[in-house]
Amino acid sequence: MTVAAGLGYVLISLGPALSLFVSVIAKKPFLILTLLASMLFWLISLIVLSGAWRGFLPLKSASWWPYVILIITSVGFQEATRLIFWKLYKKLEVILDAFAEEKFRSRLSWTDKMQIALAGGLGHGVAHAVFFCLSLLTPSFGPATFFVDRCSHMPLFLVSAIISLGFMIIHTFSMVIAFNAYAEGNKLNQITIPIIHILAAVMTLINLAPGGCAIGVPLLYIIGVVVLRHCWQMVWRKLTEQGNRQRNSSNIHVS
Amino acid sequence: MAEANPNSNPAVLETLGEEMVRIVAPVSACMLLVVLLVTALSSSSGGGLASIATIAYSDDSSDSLWDKLKGALLSSVSFVVLITLLTFLLVLLFYLRCIRFLKSYMALSSLVVLAFLGGEVFLLLISRFYVPVDVVTFSLLLFNFAVVGVLAVFLAKVPIMVNQGYLVIIGVLVAYWFTLLPEWTTWALLIAMSLYDLAAVLLPGGPLRLLVELAISRDEELPALVYEARPVEHLPGAGRRLWRERRDLASNSSSNSNNLEAGDPASQDTSLVIAEEGPSVSALTAPFLQQQLERHGEVDLEGIGLSSSGAIKLGLGDFIFYSVLVGRAALYDFMTVYACYLAIMAGLGITLLLLAFYRKALPALPVSIALGIIFYLLTRASLEVFMVQCSTNLLMF
Repeated sequence: MTVAAGLGYVLISLGPALSLFVSVIAKKPFLILTLLASMLFWLISLIVLSGAWRGFLPLKSASWWPYVILIITSVGFQEATRLIFWKLYKKLEVILDAFAEEKFRSRLSWTDKMQIALAGGLGHGVAHAVFFCLSLLTPSFGPATFFVDRCSHMPLFLVSAIISLGFMIIHTFSMVIAFNAYAEGNKLNQITIPIIHILAAVMTLINLAPGGCAIGVPLLYIIGVVVLRHCWQMVWRKLTEQGNRQRNSSNIHVS
Repeated sequence: MAEANPNSNPAVLETLGEEMVRIVAPVSACMLLVVLLVTALSSSSGGGLASIATIAYSDDSSDSLWDKLKGALLSSVSFVVLITLLTFLLVLLFYLRCIRFLKSYMALSSLVVLAFLGGEVFLLLISRFYVPVDVVTFSLLLFNFAVVGVLAVFLAKVPIMVNQGYLVIIGVLVAYWFTLLPEWTTWALLIAMSLYDLAAVLLPGGPLRLLVELAISRDEELPALVYEARPVEHLPGAGRRLWRERRDLASNSSSNSNNLEAGDPASQDTSLVIAEEGPSVSALTAPFLQQQLERHGEVDLEGIGLSSSGAIKLGLGDFIFYSVLVGRAALYDFMTVYACYLAIMAGLGITLLLLAFYRKALPALPVSIALGIIFYLLTRASLEVFMVQCSTNLLMF
């Protein structure tokens, strides 16, 4: 509607990401590079998907099942890229550990690894927000606004900003959980993350129904809260584990 | 006793990749400014620039595709030929040790870029945003801006932020001017410049390679527009030195202390990054990448390959052509901008890794421009349709 409104939409979708960036990532150059690399990964996966689907687009059917196939293939492919990202990270971790040994005489601590996972997840989330929401926001800087029929409560820009905020949270923290799960070999979490992703993506299918976004968006946020809580519990558990280990080892030293 | 301390070393994440970020940040700033300028001024820009790049062909929208292609190729080839001639001239002058002439020529061309191009851009901005300012104030401010810029870049000792800021501004201005070219010419020019860069740096007879070897053999610095990232400081309490001091020390080839222990000058590897300032309004640049390494006695870092004491130099031409690509992408849509930005960053990262691996002069343009063009075409062809389809139906994943 104006530059102010446009900026408002940008900040709705990217505000928490910006604060995460400034507080955690900005001071550590390696995390900035990880962020850029994971954004690139996400973009490449998206380009491959769009290339694969190019022949079938634009989907003119009013029914919902082509969209289901679209979503399931896309999410499946993205989970595969998450796995590839993890494998690359494992190779990089070897180099990083060697570097840390040489320079600082210690290895990467698990908080470092968590932070790298956070940066990776944030990269995915920010790339999602940029490509699904920001790239469409250009008209919103002008004098008018745009409503879609299916969700006529709010302008399209506002709805997509809110949805991409929810997805940003989901992407960021599920990457932390996923990296931890791969590292520990926790099969339950490894399966949970793709399921949550598919669930969240399928929630957006509810938006296809007229007026559906009033249900779909809050459900998405419920999933986001679940992911957040799961991640918090996992990190808290690890913190207390490490703390106990510290205390035990120092007890052994003393005695 | 080395215990496993969970909060031990944030230092690893903080030091690794620092030089890369110090190059990524100004390149991103330059691209951001060019995109903002292009989107703010695109509606009001007139066509028809009489310039060197259009000496062969000036775009006319009623021409057929083949005509446009031919015209664009002709323009870009003539541009590249011109740049090659000028670079050889530069090599000749450097060989004949006309350093003062080169320096004053560079200063003059920076002045022209800042005063005339900058003045034109500011005038366009003023008329676009209806800024109330009168002629006298404007000319005074512009004069100060241009003169301080020339001093900051070439002639005086200034804080490094001012120097870097002015280099970025020069890059922005020239890149904005380049985006005013017709579309096909811009793309043809980018491809031609990447190929020229590749040839000029890597082929044995290439002018830039000759320049590099001359500079190394004489152990002098080239008078050129080069963006040098601040070196990573390791000594605690080592203050920030003035920028000029360090370069003077380097050119005197005395013991070159770089906020670190004095490395042995003879063991300095210098590979090169140069951007030269061409004639009149068009800043011609022959960009490639330099890394100045200093070998300590103690630590010789392999693995990642970026020396912790290295300062990466990037020619201003790289800044300019990356921003031209992104600016031209901005003239289409913002999605292409984001895609091309990520592609260029990826290309830059790859080039820096190759630099750390090969440790010699490398062309910085080809990889990034190639990736940028590929991503631009892919985005325009397939990604955009996909995204619009999904987002307008509020389907996201």
